[in-house]
Amino acid sequence: MLLNSVVLILQEILEAALLVSVLMAFTRVINLRVYWLAGGIGLGCIGSLILSLNMVTISEWFDYVGQEVVNASLQFAITLVLALLTLLYSLKTPATLKWLPFCMTLAVACSLTREGSEIFIYIEGVLSQPPHIRPTLTGSGIGAGIGISVGVLLYYGLLGLPQHWIIYSCLLLLAIIAGNMSAQAAVLLIQADWLSSSIVLWNSSNWLPENSIPGHLLYALIGYEATPSLLQGLAYGAGILSVLMAWSLGRICNKATP
Amino acid sequence: MSIVNMLRNKPLLMIIGVCALWANASAAGTPVIEIRIKDHLFFPETVQIPVNTKVKLMVINEDATPEEFESYELNREKVIPGNHKAVIFVGPLPPGEYPFFGEFYPKTAQGKVVVKP
Amino acid sequence: MRSIRFFLIASILAVITLCNFVAALQGYRASLEEAEQLFDRQLYQTVELITNLHTGHFESRLPHQGDLAYQVWHNDKLVALSSASLTTPITDFSPGFGHANFDGYRWRTLVHYDNTHDNWVIAAERTDLRYMLAESVITQAVLPILLGIPLAGLLIWLIVSRGLKPLRDLSGQLKNKQANDLTPVEIPELKSELAQVYHSINALMRRLGTALDREKRFTADAAHELRTPISALKVQLHNLREELPAENQAFAELEAGVERMQHLVEQLLSLYRSTPEEFSRNFTHLNLYQLAQDVIATQHDDFEKKQQVLELEGEECLVEGDPFALATLLQNLLSNANKYTPEGGSVRVTAEPVGNHVCLKVEDSGPGIAPTDYGKVFERFQRLNRKREVAATQGCGLGLTIVRHIADLHHARASIAPSSFDSGAAFIILFKKAEENEHR
Repeated sequence: MLLNSVVLILQEILEAALLVSVLMAFTRVINLRVYWLAGGIGLGCIGSLILSLNMVTISEWFDYVGQEVVNASLQFAITLVLALLTLLYSLKTPATLKWLPFCMTLAVACSLTREGSEIFIYIEGVLSQPPHIRPTLTGSGIGAGIGISVGVLLYYGLLGLPQHWIIYSCLLLLAIIAGNMSAQAAVLLIQADWLSSSIVLWNSSNWLPENSIPGHLLYALIGYEATPSLLQGLAYGAGILSVLMAWSLGRICNKATP
Repeated sequence: MSIVNMLRNKPLLMIIGVCALWANASAAGTPVIEIRIKDHLFFPETVQIPVNTKVKLMVINEDATPEEFESYELNREKVIPGNHKAVIFVGPLPPGEYPFFGEFYPKTAQGKVVVKP
Repeated sequence: MRSIRFFLIASILAVITLCNFVAALQGYRASLEEAEQLFDRQLYQTVELITNLHTGHFESRLPHQGDLAYQVWHNDKLVALSSASLTTPITDFSPGFGHANFDGYRWRTLVHYDNTHDNWVIAAERTDLRYMLAESVITQAVLPILLGIPLAGLLIWLIVSRGLKPLRDLSGQLKNKQANDLTPVEIPELKSELAQVYHSINALMRRLGTALDREKRFTADAAHELRTPISALKVQLHNLREELPAENQAFAELEAGVERMQHLVEQLLSLYRSTPEEFSRNFTHLNLYQLAQDVIATQHDDFEKKQQVLELEGEECLVEGDPFALATLLQNLLSNANKYTPEGGSVRVTAEPVGNHVCLKVEDSGPGIAPTDYGKVFERFQRLNRKREVAATQGCGLGLTIVRHIADLHHARASIAPSSFDSGAAFIILFKKAEENEHR
């Protein structure tokens, strides 16, 4: 139970911590206040509570694939918000910069809603079985500790970079997160049979299995899959491109109207 | 500002696309296979499915606690609330063995999908 | 602003947590693997025992515990079993370890073929029970690592705070320093990292202090030394006037030049006469209104010459100060107003209590000062553009600097505002009321 809860909690926390760290470093480097974080965490907690309490109802939606649809929507929403955030930032007008904290709050809230609801459901189920409580909570503590520590180190690592690299690194990481999110959303929609399954792009489960520690870490950080499907790969590329294009679009508009 | 508007319209486009694909996919008659979860065990433990065919796994959780159906090989992950059921589409798959497990109770909840030609 | 302390605490704690937890996890996995092997060996011994017990082909049942099940098969016939066991084979007849689900549990199975008796022995152990036992033991070992982290956090916080204390002390000392306080910062028990900072700051303070002192001393000495030759010059001028015709242009300008030089020297002397501490020792109670009346009486002629209206308003108000310095202050303000107000203009002096303060105000109807120039007015040798219009006026640009210097010595605030006339500037000096000073 312990190892299992470590893996489960770590994966969820790591995904959220990555997003939060990158957005916090981004906030620092463009000299904004980090007040938005409190709003994002608050909304995320409320959202995940609502989602987990209504999981029974939600999973019956759309002929028993409601869960996939809701989670995929949240993940697509994160992709879109990150692209919008990049666009607003790259336009660099006071009117657009004003909306950055709002976007960041929204992205973190969506991310925490999804991750948090799974943690809630898991912990709640385990709490009804006394012999499992202690190892599960220990494991959850370890998982959360590792996840948050990685987030903290990533944040300070990003801020430790030379000033002009920070912003590009942040944008690159945001693009990867956006790709990861849209790829995961695509997998969920395939699972729900809303998108049709397609050929497998490659199979790397022999030399980097998904259920190894590096496999879990890479899954949470860059969305590593040992056997990704074509559609998943396309969604990943689309997610990355949406952020990169928003960035260049904003710069082009910025140059056109000096 | 028109770019912002364009981006705002994007989810709508996506939903339309998704709906079109959905209509396409669910038209075919998909075989249904039932898997039960009881005392954190899968019954049956081994599920046979035909090669290159999409099947609908109907996972019924008879425990009071939630379980998460997970398979790295199948790329599937889904929470099934206690005393509830869930639908997971699998395949079409080439021949082989695809283990799955309950992520919440992985020591006992183990099973595999076997695809035979 | 980013704090060094927060950075140190957060990143050290993160590194410790990461290393400890990953290590604990690795330990957990290794221990669990070891435990699995131990249980498997135990299962193997059980199978051996059963094999040795079932050497004949008879049906039998052994007493069993709930977590162990076994079957003995001979020629596809079940010849022995534990009471809880199935009557169908638990698992395939392939020797070795495996897993099987039955009885509502998951079991670890071991199949053994006894070729001397042609028996298949299958033993099974409940995985959940063996696992739970191993896990509870290992969790006991891992839990303290988890619980140690808050303690580590507290200790790191204390240590980092202690380590950064010299830095906090230094910035506290610098923060509390007055702008004109050039005394060296106190050096506590010196840390090697900060030694250079302390030495550099103190050396800088010292150099700055010496430079300022030298400048003051030089100006004061020079002014003092200049007084004697100027007095001599004036005597010679006096003598010269007797011998020259009355209307000699060159002589008049020479006399004006000497006059200006004397004025400048006097101003410099009053500016650097003494240090603030020495100065405030001679403070007395005085009535600012009365003082204004006296000063106006002495300077009345200048205003008369330019046909300017000079009025005094206000009431009795007491301040603490040096009568000579305050008279100089007012003289400077008046001559400034006199200079910049055109002929026929008006100048108004007001001395009145305002709340806890006493306000001395000199307003003129001159061209006024642009608000952007307010800051510059009190700087040394600053003569703003309006000066050009009245190029004939005598002055050295030190008058208002002296005003501010005297105001500072009295802990009063000097400021500028538009005057209440149609045009012009108002110079406002805000003193503390004398009564208040007495209470201290």
